[in-house]
Amino acid sequence: MKKVLSTIAAMAMLVSMAACGNDSGSSSGGSSGGDSGKKGGKETINVWAFTDEVPGMIKKYIELHPEFGEKYTIKETIIPTTDGNYQPALDQALSAGGNDAPDIYCAEAAFVLKYTQGAASQYAAAYKDLGIDVDNKIKAADIAQYSVDIGTNPSGDVVGLGYQATGGAFIYRRSIAKDVFGTDDPATIQSEIGPGWDKFYDAAEELKGSGYGIVSGDGDIWHAVENSSDQGWIVDNKLHIDPKREEFLDLSMSLMDNGYHNDTEDWGDAWFADMKGEGAKGIFGFFGPAWLINYTMADNCGGKAVGEGTYGDWAVCEPPVGFFWGGTWLLANKDTDQKEGVGELIDWITLDCSENGLQYMWANGTYNPEKPTKDCVASGTVMKMSDGTVDFLGGQNMFDVFVPANEYANGKNLTQYDESINILWRDQVRMYTSGQKSREDALKDFKRQVSDNLAIEAE
Amino acid sequence: MAAVANKKASSVVFKVTAYTFCILLTVISLLPFVIMIINATRSTTQIQQHAISFVPSTFLKSNFEVLTGKSFDPFKGFLNSLIISTFSTICTVYFSTMTAYALTAYSWKLKKPFFTLIMCILMIPAQVTSIGFYQFMYKIGMTNNFLALILPAIASPTTVFFMRQYMIPSLPMEILQSARIDGAGEFRIFNQIVLPMMKPAMATQAIFAFVTSWNSLFLPQILLIDNEKHTLPIMVSQLNGDIYRTEFGAIYLGLLLTVLPVLVIYFLLSKHIIAGVALGGVKG
Amino acid sequence: MSKGSVRLAGSGGDVAKRQRVRDGRSEYLSLVSKGVCDKLKKPLKGISYAKWGYIFSIPFMLIFLIFSLYPTIYTAVLGFTDCVGLNNSEWHFLDDPLANFDSVIHNKSFTTSLRNTVVIWMMNFIPQITIALLLTAWFTSHHNEIKGKGFFKVVFYMPNIITAASVAILFNALFSYPVGPVNDLLVSWGIRDESYNFFVDGFASKCIVAFIQFLTWYGNTMIVLISGVLGISPDIYEAAEIDGANGIQTFFKITIPNLKTVLLYTLITSLVGGLNMYDIPKLFLNGGPDNATLTTSVFIYNQAFSGSYLFNRAAAASMIMFVIIALCSAVLFYVMRDKDEAKLQKEARQAKRDAKRKGGMW
Repeated sequence: MKKVLSTIAAMAMLVSMAACGNDSGSSSGGSSGGDSGKKGGKETINVWAFTDEVPGMIKKYIELHPEFGEKYTIKETIIPTTDGNYQPALDQALSAGGNDAPDIYCAEAAFVLKYTQGAASQYAAAYKDLGIDVDNKIKAADIAQYSVDIGTNPSGDVVGLGYQATGGAFIYRRSIAKDVFGTDDPATIQSEIGPGWDKFYDAAEELKGSGYGIVSGDGDIWHAVENSSDQGWIVDNKLHIDPKREEFLDLSMSLMDNGYHNDTEDWGDAWFADMKGEGAKGIFGFFGPAWLINYTMADNCGGKAVGEGTYGDWAVCEPPVGFFWGGTWLLANKDTDQKEGVGELIDWITLDCSENGLQYMWANGTYNPEKPTKDCVASGTVMKMSDGTVDFLGGQNMFDVFVPANEYANGKNLTQYDESINILWRDQVRMYTSGQKSREDALKDFKRQVSDNLAIEAE
Repeated sequence: MAAVANKKASSVVFKVTAYTFCILLTVISLLPFVIMIINATRSTTQIQQHAISFVPSTFLKSNFEVLTGKSFDPFKGFLNSLIISTFSTICTVYFSTMTAYALTAYSWKLKKPFFTLIMCILMIPAQVTSIGFYQFMYKIGMTNNFLALILPAIASPTTVFFMRQYMIPSLPMEILQSARIDGAGEFRIFNQIVLPMMKPAMATQAIFAFVTSWNSLFLPQILLIDNEKHTLPIMVSQLNGDIYRTEFGAIYLGLLLTVLPVLVIYFLLSKHIIAGVALGGVKG
Repeated sequence: MSKGSVRLAGSGGDVAKRQRVRDGRSEYLSLVSKGVCDKLKKPLKGISYAKWGYIFSIPFMLIFLIFSLYPTIYTAVLGFTDCVGLNNSEWHFLDDPLANFDSVIHNKSFTTSLRNTVVIWMMNFIPQITIALLLTAWFTSHHNEIKGKGFFKVVFYMPNIITAASVAILFNALFSYPVGPVNDLLVSWGIRDESYNFFVDGFASKCIVAFIQFLTWYGNTMIVLISGVLGISPDIYEAAEIDGANGIQTFFKITIPNLKTVLLYTLITSLVGGLNMYDIPKLFLNGGPDNATLTTSVFIYNQAFSGSYLFNRAAAASMIMFVIIALCSAVLFYVMRDKDEAKLQKEARQAKRDAKRKGGMW
């Protein structure tokens, strides 16, 4: 019996390996074009990322500029952030230095401050040292201010910039809007749900009357709350709970008590189900930047064309409170030997506002012809040249809403500890809204946990 | 008569209880695998809507294409994983048996302290050593090198501990002595007499060592930077790499492919555990 | 070389047979105390075999010194310093060397994590060892043949093969709220009116973590025990059957005592593994909710990597855990020591003294 099982397993394995072997023969040839092994004369650029987005961009650059590919070999290290493995590995590689240290590395919004202003900022090179005329280029490209703020180190030099602009909007269902408010026009809806949370909750009450929830879970409003606070979590080296953030406890409880949501957790199954309209009750909208639309909602709306699922039944309008969410910043190692090559790549990705620059292609869906998606990019200049009309939003030009939204994004109330502190905070809020503890206890435990884990005392 | 009938009845009761219990455990134990297999045939969107389903779907081929499309070379990953795991398993089992033999068959002054040291190493939490370890590897430039993952396997305290515990009751000293009398050298005695006797223990530890090495993700991920050197688990974790669109279908397929080779090795080795080699073989 | 080539002078087959149940060393000692054969004791041609003990240990020591010693000592030292932050090469020894240890012991998260670790470990280990022993008894029983035990052995080990990450994802999906398979079952079977959020319930989360640990390790424990049982000579079982022992008596009076050494291994590795539990608590709920599934290893990781890089406190906590584990292991070693062997060693020493007094043979 065992022999049979093992033979079957072995055969299954061999068949799959053989099939893969044949397929990947062609694909690996193409994709690992600039791999090691051909050292002869070429300089190596080590790229560290947590997704294949930036390495893909670099490959695209080499495609468009073959001379670059003749001069440099690209070595990519991709470690996803999912199990929390990316940062420790990156930190060790940076501190060890040497030939295998990263030359270009990426940092996500959740932890970028550590690398631009915090504990790991000692490794970052100032863009101007890479041969980039930073000040002028930023002005010419009209880069979103919050991106520059985040990417500026304590000495005032720009060490990182993002290629996206992730200012957020409110993305709502047209059909539900018509049903409850009589119209799906963004300008009208905008004034129904905001500005300010009071109006938002009034709208929620109206929606509840027709049997809809306004958002899927409390995580949806958190990013807006977080980013609109006056001060960050740390003030004068002490834990500071901004009143606007403390309000989240009450906002979340209100959602729960009044049944304005489906009590889902962001990125969980039920949250995705609400994008399809298949949750416990219909959900009016989501808070998110442009990437949420193209990369998350489009894949989960239950269809690929207008009429299927909720595809085409969405629109965007200004949120009640401005915010930004996510984004990837590019940094360079100040000890890199390939300053020129690195500078060239970073410039093309983050500052080049011509039609051949990455930003233009990224915004207009010409970057990847097989899967055209549009996104908001950091350069305001490029955004003005671009057209953000998408079928998913029923033909609306999303840039009309997202570009002004970027101005509300605040890059000054962030700290390098945000990732950890936010996890602790959301945990305590959840304990409070699910009835496991009182409001005072939730606050008390939050302060204690921050002190236990980060040695930061409360004010 | 009644006694015999009683015995038969209690035997039946026993068998029924035993079988029911075992079948229950079987279902629970196989559940994760069934879910993995079924999810490997479903598309990412299906999985995101309902994570668990018992109804297979038709996306096996498209998941497969996603897998190979993302420069995921399973053949290469499989080969790399195989090399690392096989060699580190051989190192672990052979050298641990040797060290255990040193602790059991000979009496030497530092024996007890040495064993205590080994036990102490066993008790240190793994995170403590792993961080310093890869810092060290970076400093001496041994990154991207399979040896960095294979050589440390020579010193495996748990395996030594197990082999020692196994040897204490079952190592037949007279046979060793008679071999010495016959003029055999110590190494020969070890390799030709002792090792064959330890087969069930070695097979057991070989399976554990192989599984641990095959599934390990953290250290290889940090040390093996070159795409060419990536092991299978690293490749599967890279499928998580798209923060906006995680391809769950392809991930489950990748996980399945990762598990298959281990199952094969397990089936092959389990023969040695199950075929009872009765020790203490000074039979008349 | 035939196994039977050693004929012990004056011993005769029966003595050897009965003694075979003890371990090799005690057998040897008992023969010595009978003053039977000094041939075995006197080293051949004056060669000391002790050096071989050292030689065979060299590979282990070498690799350990190179790859593990430096990080371990470095960490131990850090516990006494003020080393904080990334790439800090300017740390100093604290004036009060025990300051870090003090702060860790008074850290409420640490004490919670210690309690959690013990609780979850007990919830996991007690069912695990019970069921593993039960299965071992059944599958190695000479009385009742369970058909298909080969199949069962294979299947029960399989959960051990899956990576912790995959298992964590799976169980997260199983118990998800507000929609999820378990919740669907609870509602459709009428046990509850609406979905239950397992992930905000501390006790439920602990149970799930303990169950996951149980599921992934019980097969492993069972296999270890079975391989230990296979090392027991079947002659003993034959003798017992002739004497009329039934299944239960055989198990408790023969299998378990002879399994002592392997059992000790299982207990110690479970203890160490349990007190160092990291993978599942971290990947499943990251120590939540509200620290309910926070184990000491996750606590240590958080100290080091939450953003403040408190390496000194992480090191101090690691050392505290090490001491706790060492103490528990020492207790286990003492409890499981081979009392017979200790007694025999005493007798041997006594016999030696007697023989010396009588003069002569030695």
